[in-house]
Amino acid sequence: MAKARGTDGSLLASLPWTLLALAFALLPHVPYLPAWITAALLTCAIWRYSIEVRRKPVPPALLRAALALLAFLGVLYTYSTISGVGPGSALLAIMAALKLLETRQRRDQFVLLFIAIFLVMSSLLREQYLWSLPYLVLGIILIMTAWLRTAADDAEPVRRSLGTSGRLVLYAAPLALAMWIFFPRISTPFWAVPIDTGTAVTGLSDTISPGDISALSKSDAVAFRVKFEGTVPDPKDRYWRGLVLHRFDGRTWSGISEPRISSSALENTETLGTAVNYRVTMEPTRQHWMFALDIPYDWDLESTFLGPQHQLARVQPIDQRIAYNAVSFPEYRIDAGMHSSRRNWYLEFPEGRNPRTAELARSMRAAARSDESYIHAVLTKFNEENYHYTLEPPPLGSRPVDRFLFETQRGFCEHYASAFALMMRAAGIPARIVVGYQGGELNPVGDYMIVRQADAHAWTEVWLPGAGWRRVDPTAAVAPERVDAGRTGAMFDGSGAAWGLGAPSMLLHNIVLAWDAANAKWNEWILGYGPENQERFMTWLGMDDPDWRQMLLTLVAIVTGLTMLISLALILRYRPPPRDRAAILYDRFVRKSGLTPATGETPRVFAGRVQRDGALPAVAVRGITDTYLDVRYGPPDPSLLQRLESDIAAL
Amino acid sequence: MSSIRWLSPKRLLPGINRAASRRVRRWARRRQGADGPVTRLQPRRLYILPTGVGLIFALMTFAMLLGSMNYNNNLSFVLTFILIGIGFVAMHQCQRNLVGLEVSFAGTEPVFAGQSAQFRIAVANRSKSPRYRIRLYIDDVQSDIKDLEPGESRIFVLPVRTERRGWVTLERFGIRTLFPFELFRSWAWLHMNPKGIVYPHPAEHAPPPPASRTALGHRQHDARGEEDFAGLRKFHIGDSPRNVAWKAYARSDQLLSKQFAGADMSSQWFDFDAVVADDLEQRLAILTRWIIDADRTQEDYGLRLPGQSFPPAHGEAHRRQCLEALALFGLENPDG
Repeated sequence: MAKARGTDGSLLASLPWTLLALAFALLPHVPYLPAWITAALLTCAIWRYSIEVRRKPVPPALLRAALALLAFLGVLYTYSTISGVGPGSALLAIMAALKLLETRQRRDQFVLLFIAIFLVMSSLLREQYLWSLPYLVLGIILIMTAWLRTAADDAEPVRRSLGTSGRLVLYAAPLALAMWIFFPRISTPFWAVPIDTGTAVTGLSDTISPGDISALSKSDAVAFRVKFEGTVPDPKDRYWRGLVLHRFDGRTWSGISEPRISSSALENTETLGTAVNYRVTMEPTRQHWMFALDIPYDWDLESTFLGPQHQLARVQPIDQRIAYNAVSFPEYRIDAGMHSSRRNWYLEFPEGRNPRTAELARSMRAAARSDESYIHAVLTKFNEENYHYTLEPPPLGSRPVDRFLFETQRGFCEHYASAFALMMRAAGIPARIVVGYQGGELNPVGDYMIVRQADAHAWTEVWLPGAGWRRVDPTAAVAPERVDAGRTGAMFDGSGAAWGLGAPSMLLHNIVLAWDAANAKWNEWILGYGPENQERFMTWLGMDDPDWRQMLLTLVAIVTGLTMLISLALILRYRPPPRDRAAILYDRFVRKSGLTPATGETPRVFAGRVQRDGALPAVAVRGITDTYLDVRYGPPDPSLLQRLESDIAAL
Repeated sequence: MSSIRWLSPKRLLPGINRAASRRVRRWARRRQGADGPVTRLQPRRLYILPTGVGLIFALMTFAMLLGSMNYNNNLSFVLTFILIGIGFVAMHQCQRNLVGLEVSFAGTEPVFAGQSAQFRIAVANRSKSPRYRIRLYIDDVQSDIKDLEPGESRIFVLPVRTERRGWVTLERFGIRTLFPFELFRSWAWLHMNPKGIVYPHPAEHAPPPPASRTALGHRQHDARGEEDFAGLRKFHIGDSPRNVAWKAYARSDQLLSKQFAGADMSSQWFDFDAVVADDLEQRLAILTRWIIDADRTQEDYGLRLPGQSFPPAHGEAHRRQCLEALALFGLENPDG
């Protein structure tokens, strides 16, 4: 064990800044870190600072080693792994806490500042919001300020350190921008490390079980944003197809577990009417499903395909924000000639699980003249009888559909879709459930549509001979406003309430929309600047067929140019101060005299020499020298300077 | 931070480094030539290399670049590129922190052989902005670190160990800075050849000075003769405060020195030829000792060396003259 020597207080000027930089770097991690780690770092920071203030020795090596072991085991126990962003940042925080305790010299703080940089970096891997950019810039300025102060004079004012590091970061900014734009982006990662961001991603579930605890999201989180080319479809046509569920076990609807490619899906699609072109920017879901307006016909994203039930899916789960162009046809006829064996697929249901529903379906079908009129009768039943649309329905026991249809009669889209699809199947009409989103709010700021998690919806499709699959939304029969108006206004009220405003505030709503538009641009231009966007941007800049060599060469050229500019800025910064007026005038006098003052020769001695030389009138030389000395050493007087100038001019 | 120190090139290859740096310095000396008394640091004579911290910083940003590429994370690209940019900027800032500084020799105080000569070097910042963290050094000897405000000139002291009497020359010294972030070290070598005088090392045990042939009356070195009060005279700078007639001062407001009959007549000669010693250096050492002792007691003394002599006197200028003569006595190149 090293001899316990007291600290000497030499860190007092820099340590607070190092601690501040660390705290700032840790800030975005705090909600994700277990509380004990934040507490440990905070404790160590206060502990170490008070050690420095009281000139006490740092804790002994044995204690530090024990703490290190304990902390490492703690992380292992909390996360049961040490890889990933979560455990990684926890370990960084722990390392910082322990390093603090053994920091003796000023230079030891470099390690702490390196850790702070890595903490900022890992927070960016976790989340990239609009404010992340100012956060990281501020973080760097703080870290570099602390860095300066580790070596600076103790008496250096804080403002000066901040100014210097701010200036250097400012010089670095154009270099960073050039590198950011021109550094070639690659699409394939070197190594695949799952980013365990620790954040829950909201999305649609793969199955629906009406009657379980309400899983419907009321979240205002954005599911995806859509930019339409040309006309925007009417609210009643805004059905965003996601996944299709066709298996029913009496309680739960499920679909195919893994998306499969179907070569025939497009062949069995007959498009009617006009196409809708649009671009979707989708938030990550960690699922395979992608969303497209019913019914998707074309898209431009690689390794993406259309499944047999016309659901769009991607081979790898969507764990990053993606954007794609798509074409849909709101009017269509699909699978009109479906084979009877496939048809049976969509008729299966467990007999006896919901006996009353099956019985009702059969009797109603018998009373109806055709499939169409039967469908109409069921929808009318939902519409006219005492059915209610609610987001908080009562739980439904073991015969969920029976209990819903005959007892509770309260539910949301999943309940109605499930009951309707079962009634169709029981009556011999092939039916399935489609899960996706319905609606979307047009954002006039930026002219695009926001589809939120709260727009999640489930509807049904029934197959009729000759017509193929036809969308029927039973929820619309119960709560037409849910479909017609979308949810516009719900969020509007919601956000007002969230801010404690009773009455809906139009202003607030507009601010929310403007903020979302800024986020959309941010996502598209900053976060979405990948290989494709880069190529597009390079082409726009005038590069034909840009490749990484061209970009690197351009980058080198730009960086060289910028470096020269920075050099120039520094040269200007360190240029000598301008000579003062008096010195310039005196130089003029010296030139007129034709003599050169010797090093160390005073103006009076020089004046004597000039007078002896005789080329200039002695009185004037005397006068000029006196005036010059008065300007130099006397109290400030502008008239003296004028006299000096006129006297010299008069020579 | 031992890891960072370990990475410094100096540590990694000590032997090679020493040999290489000797070679580089010789090359720099040939390239630059000797410097004038006031030297302005031009960019072409400034060298720059990354430090250990700089290398770690570079490794870290490289790792961050790989990470950003792997995750295709545009914000961590921003962070990485700002750090790389800061590296670039730090390099230029580091060098510019020295460019244009004016270095000049500001003298040294004479020392006795064995003491270290304090070379005073003035560094002037004739620019509009402050210069930070400037340090002068000779090999392993370093001055303090100082900041220079605009227009400010500060003195840096470089101690140089001396062994022999004569001139001590500062053949080469360096000026360097690690500002701003210690990622780079920028330095310049200066060859201004400032000189300082080194007096002989005074003999530890010197025989008492011989009774001078010209001294009036017999007196021993330790006999001050202070009892033989001879009168008062006007105080001269250099008179010992012990001899000031304080009582007379209190009465008359005039500083007067007491004169002693013994002191008056003790203008002794220290004669090189009269010193009994084994060799030249020993003789000079003994003479040095006598002069110091005589100076301390404000006695008049004269020095006679082969070829030159200094008539008896006392005071700082006389002492300096005598000691300088001893320092340079018999040297091949007394001008340095």
